[in-house]
Amino acid sequence: MPVIEYKCPNCGSGMVFDGNTGMLSCPSCGRKDNIEQIPDPLKKQVFIEDEVKEYHCNSCGAVIVTEPETSATTCSFCGSAVVLSDRLSGNLAPVMVIPFSITKEEAMKAFKKWCRNGLLTPGGFMTADRIKGITGMYVPFWLYELHNRVEVHARGTKVRTYTRGDYQYTETQHFDIYRKIRLNYVKVPIDASEKMNDELMDKLEPFPYQQLKEFKTPYLAGYIAEKYSQNDEQLYPRAKEKISSYIDSYISTAVSGYTTVSYTNKQIDTTLKQADYVLLPVWMVHYDYNKSEHTFAMNGQTGKVVGKPPISKAKVAAWFAGISGVSLLSLKLISWAMGGGFL
Amino acid sequence: MRRRYTLWAVLFLLVVYWMVPAGAVAAEDMKPLIFDEANLLSPEERNELNAMANEYGAKRETDFMILTVNSVPNDDYELWTENFYDEYAPGYDKPHGNTVILTMVMSARDGTRNVHLEGYYKAEKYLDSGRLTKIRSKITPDLSNGNYKQAFEKYIKTAHRYMGFEPGVNPDNILFNIWFQLGSAAAIGAIAVGIMAYRSGGRVTVNRRTYEDASTSGIMDHQDRYIRTTTTKRKIERNTGGGSGGGGGGGVTRGGHSHSSSSGKF
Ligand SMILES: [Zn+2]
Ligand SMILES: [Zn+2]
Repeated sequence: MPVIEYKCPNCGSGMVFDGNTGMLSCPSCGRKDNIEQIPDPLKKQVFIEDEVKEYHCNSCGAVIVTEPETSATTCSFCGSAVVLSDRLSGNLAPVMVIPFSITKEEAMKAFKKWCRNGLLTPGGFMTADRIKGITGMYVPFWLYELHNRVEVHARGTKVRTYTRGDYQYTETQHFDIYRKIRLNYVKVPIDASEKMNDELMDKLEPFPYQQLKEFKTPYLAGYIAEKYSQNDEQLYPRAKEKISSYIDSYISTAVSGYTTVSYTNKQIDTTLKQADYVLLPVWMVHYDYNKSEHTFAMNGQTGKVVGKPPISKAKVAAWFAGISGVSLLSLKLISWAMGGGFL
Repeated sequence: MRRRYTLWAVLFLLVVYWMVPAGAVAAEDMKPLIFDEANLLSPEERNELNAMANEYGAKRETDFMILTVNSVPNDDYELWTENFYDEYAPGYDKPHGNTVILTMVMSARDGTRNVHLEGYYKAEKYLDSGRLTKIRSKITPDLSNGNYKQAFEKYIKTAHRYMGFEPGVNPDNILFNIWFQLGSAAAIGAIAVGIMAYRSGGRVTVNRRTYEDASTSGIMDHQDRYIRTTTTKRKIERNTGGGSGGGGGGGVTRGGHSHSSSSGKF
């Protein structure tokens, strides 16, 4: 049976992961189990190689509605937390997970607060009373360890100007620059879910890596989880692209003290040391506003919210006019102070 | 919210104040300030300019005068203008008071046409010879083309505007230009709102150090080899006049009234 459920040993109710305590807890009797100490039922499973077409809820027997990527969800009939173990084992077994530390209620509160603080969002949006759904989701990520050997050749100049008599002299010293740099990046995250917006996921960073735990399925109980839809090789170019701006900025700080620098040769040799498959906690908020749906994501550990909120034209106009007005007033004061008259 | 509305109201009033010139002067209070002996203007144009000179002059407490003649004795238009000031005794505040005079001499003996400006008292201080020269160069193209009315209007407006600046500052400094000020204010507003809109969706808060393993990263080898030095020299342009400093002009009438001045052909 590839479906795992967590039955409370005391009362038989379905247990879920509780972000507040970090334990598997029973909502009925309040029993709490330390996940790091209980054996993961996944490890005891024996799998059939065949791809399973249908999953049935252990509690009520209903067919569990899933998408092909879903690896954990709740039964839509009885509400039991279910984990689809065949989508979390073998190649698909995550190495580590960062569990949620922000609960659904806290996420809701934090999101409403974020809406209220929006400087340009319309008044109706700020009340945040149209939240259509909030889903806790473990999003698959690859954490890359990338080692780089960088060799740079450049031409640099140092310019000095001084005045002698009626002439201004510009003295330019030319230098030949060489740098050999070792630059290692660890745990560079790239989201491995095709349907997640890459830009949104990038803005959710950083995730607190000190919260990384060895993966165990009970962490997923009560949440949605997905398996990766792109493997580490497919996403390697994105990882390289992500660090290339970091490398460039490191190089420019390594070549400092010059007036101008022009690179004649830049050689970056990147080796992929490791790519770990991990699940990271994200609250997805669906919000209905003016008949269109807006999607926001919240880091399930830090509470950082990202996503494009609607922009109020009136507020944009008000801020524009306010800032411009104050600027104009300041410019007027400056010109007045310079003897230019105020009006 | 309330405070914002107050700010609006103040801004609006200021803008209205800048845009609308001060109230018109009633016709009976008007002083004759345009003496068009050379007949460059139609009677309507003369009246219009006279009203304008009265209105703008009142705001600066200075008589803005225009004198046009066909010729003056010995072509000495400076002496002629000084004598006019001594004898006619113009002035906004008192006889022999604040006055700026634009004299046009249409046919000198050498066949040229001359324009001459003098500023007395407040106008001597606020329209020094440098500023008078600026005004003259602004109106010369119109004078050369025979657009006298336009040139005279420009003279009145520019003189009025320049007198709003403290003596010694460059009245044409771009910082004092209302369009520059409006433009910069709008640009600041647009950039600020643009940044706010851009950041409304959350921003990237990781930098190049976030994922760097500092313990194993670093510069392994470096070399900075000096090759050569090149030197270029440039002659320093010394400031030759310009700006608002009074260059040349100025003098004292026989009656002992000191003035600034600027003159040229057109
Ligand atoms: Zn229980
Ligand atoms: Zn069920």
